[in-house]
Amino acid sequence: MERARLVPLAIAAAVVLALALGPQFLRPSSLYLVSLWAVTAIAAMGLNLTLGYAGQISMAQGAFVGIGAYATAILMQQGVPFPAAFVAAGAICFGVGWLLGYPALRVQHHYLAFVTLAFTTLVYLLLRNEQWLTNGVYGISGIQRPVLFGVSFAKSADYYYFCLGMLAIFLGAMWWMIRSPWGRAFMVLRENPVRAMSLGVDTRRYTLLAFAIGSSIGGFAGGLFAPLVQFLEPGSFSLGYSLSLLLMVIVGGSGYLLGPLVGAMVAVLLPEFLRFTQGYYLLLYAAAVMILMTFCPQGLIGMAERIAAALRRRRTTATTGTH
Amino acid sequence: MKYLMKSFFVAAMAMAPVAAGAQSTIYIPNLAELSGAGAVSGTNWRDGIILAVEEINAKGGILGRKLDVPHVDTQSEASIARAQIQRMIDNKAYVVLGPVFSGSVLPSMELTKQAEIPQIMGGEAAAITQRGNPYIFRTAFGQQVSMPKIANYMRDGVKAKSVAVVWVNNDFGKGGRDAFTAEMRKRNIPVVADVSTESGQVDFASDVVKVKNANADAIFVYTNEEESARFLREARKQGIRAPLIGETTLLGQKVIELAGEAANGVKGHVGLTADAPVPALQEFGEKFKKRFGYANDHNGIKGYTAVYVIKHVTEKIGKFDSKAFAAALHGMTIKPSDEPGILMEATWDKNGDIDRQSFLGEVVAGKQKIVEILPKAGL
Repeated sequence: MERARLVPLAIAAAVVLALALGPQFLRPSSLYLVSLWAVTAIAAMGLNLTLGYAGQISMAQGAFVGIGAYATAILMQQGVPFPAAFVAAGAICFGVGWLLGYPALRVQHHYLAFVTLAFTTLVYLLLRNEQWLTNGVYGISGIQRPVLFGVSFAKSADYYYFCLGMLAIFLGAMWWMIRSPWGRAFMVLRENPVRAMSLGVDTRRYTLLAFAIGSSIGGFAGGLFAPLVQFLEPGSFSLGYSLSLLLMVIVGGSGYLLGPLVGAMVAVLLPEFLRFTQGYYLLLYAAAVMILMTFCPQGLIGMAERIAAALRRRRTTATTGTH
Repeated sequence: MKYLMKSFFVAAMAMAPVAAGAQSTIYIPNLAELSGAGAVSGTNWRDGIILAVEEINAKGGILGRKLDVPHVDTQSEASIARAQIQRMIDNKAYVVLGPVFSGSVLPSMELTKQAEIPQIMGGEAAAITQRGNPYIFRTAFGQQVSMPKIANYMRDGVKAKSVAVVWVNNDFGKGGRDAFTAEMRKRNIPVVADVSTESGQVDFASDVVKVKNANADAIFVYTNEEESARFLREARKQGIRAPLIGETTLLGQKVIELAGEAANGVKGHVGLTADAPVPALQEFGEKFKKRFGYANDHNGIKGYTAVYVIKHVTEKIGKFDSKAFAAALHGMTIKPSDEPGILMEATWDKNGDIDRQSFLGEVVAGKQKIVEILPKAGL
């Protein structure tokens, strides 16, 4: 029992230490990739709440990252300081996410997927065609990194810590939320909505909340994405990105707290690692994902849990066997 | 959890610094669209570069050092391009080649500017050279140069009194469309139909109907390769009579291949082509075909000449100095007599814009035919 608890703790400590020491041995390009991983993981975490915990399929998470990113960039260029722009990005996505939740009250599963898919396309078209606001296909460039309390986060190492700090905050908030009555309400919504209703859970409100909170986390991720890449164009937030976020949640392990972190690692860092194979890297990446999904549909965390459980069982039988 | 750990180490390994190249090579990475929406252009660009690098290395490289030119994929995605350009800067690139899509050039050029590394790229959007960036260089005309040429052709060659514009709604198409309509306005030629199409669009039936109903004297088609071919096929099917006019892409080899018979009769301005009555260009076209088994388009020439620009400038300054390189290329004219690999005389101005001769052509019996050589624009 002791050991079962110690192992994950030791791993967590090692990961945190490695990330903290990152700038000591990583170059700016690698720091950028890890920052991109952190930002993507936050976006996937939002989707994990909507999809993994509350069971509402959404193909709109990429669109919310886009809304958040554009909101932050546009507000910052109007002279709004980063913290205010960042909060506004989350708030706007909360409102829009709440509205998008209404169709979810009426349709479920793949029908809901189509509704959210249409929404993503709509957002893409708005970002592209409303040139007066978003600069259309030319995109927005020269987005500044934030300055907070007189401290500039312009350097890659500083912004790296900023993104990781944000990831830690969102991870903590998520951990708290899924243990709170809200989290339990989301989960019962996924498992059995009829029973949830009979138990007095306001399913209507919680469905809307699941969408709104998940979307606002996507918006916050967008708020970090804009100063990270320092260039925004509508194409980055088209349907492909939403699908990719969906993939991260499922590959990592939908409904597991750490699932999106692992999923984002697979999606952002694995293709980079495979680059040495030259022209084959995307092919190998796709093959790896397909094999993974065939043999462990619960995702990587699900698989790790299964292996851990099997090991534990073996150990128990081994100990009972000797006695 | 074990897997979490494992993936982490795998990722960490991936990010470990690449061993710096030996002193005998010079690192000139190529960032290109090798997958995604830009793959057709990016692959052509890469193969042009491969050809030039092989030739130069076979002759001993530049100043005695062989060229080390890895080809790195952007997936036609801005955030990936951003990551890869940073890696090239970390590895202390001498000069960066690519990318081809303007959407990837814009986020990468800020970084090369900060690092003071010259970037020779294939983007044609007007905005690229209008930002006062002293490290960015073109290998083909920007739209602010090519559109006046096509506008003159519309007025004097086609004698059009009205035009329709079909464009692809990305930064390339929108930039071209904006520049073109502005030039038409200057010449008092009304644009009677303004049709926006999607990148990757398959069905052009309704767009062709729109253009047909507008009854314009000429139709200007400005989309990427695959879409151009699809549009031409649909236009032929619906029996459009008005001349179809294009800028480089529409008359390009790839489009002719894909559109087949429907490309016949297309006319327009061509920045670069292996079919030009310039022996060096034709020779290049044959070499390219022999090496890769397909006919190059303008992107192949762009990539090929970009490498020879590096060779010529470096030999001129006599050292591998990125800053001196950028300073030297501004205002420089390279002649084929000094550097045969440049294929055609070219001049770079203070913004990094390129100027050289260009062509008017048309597609006759499945082949591009050049009918007139236009002089340098004189930037």
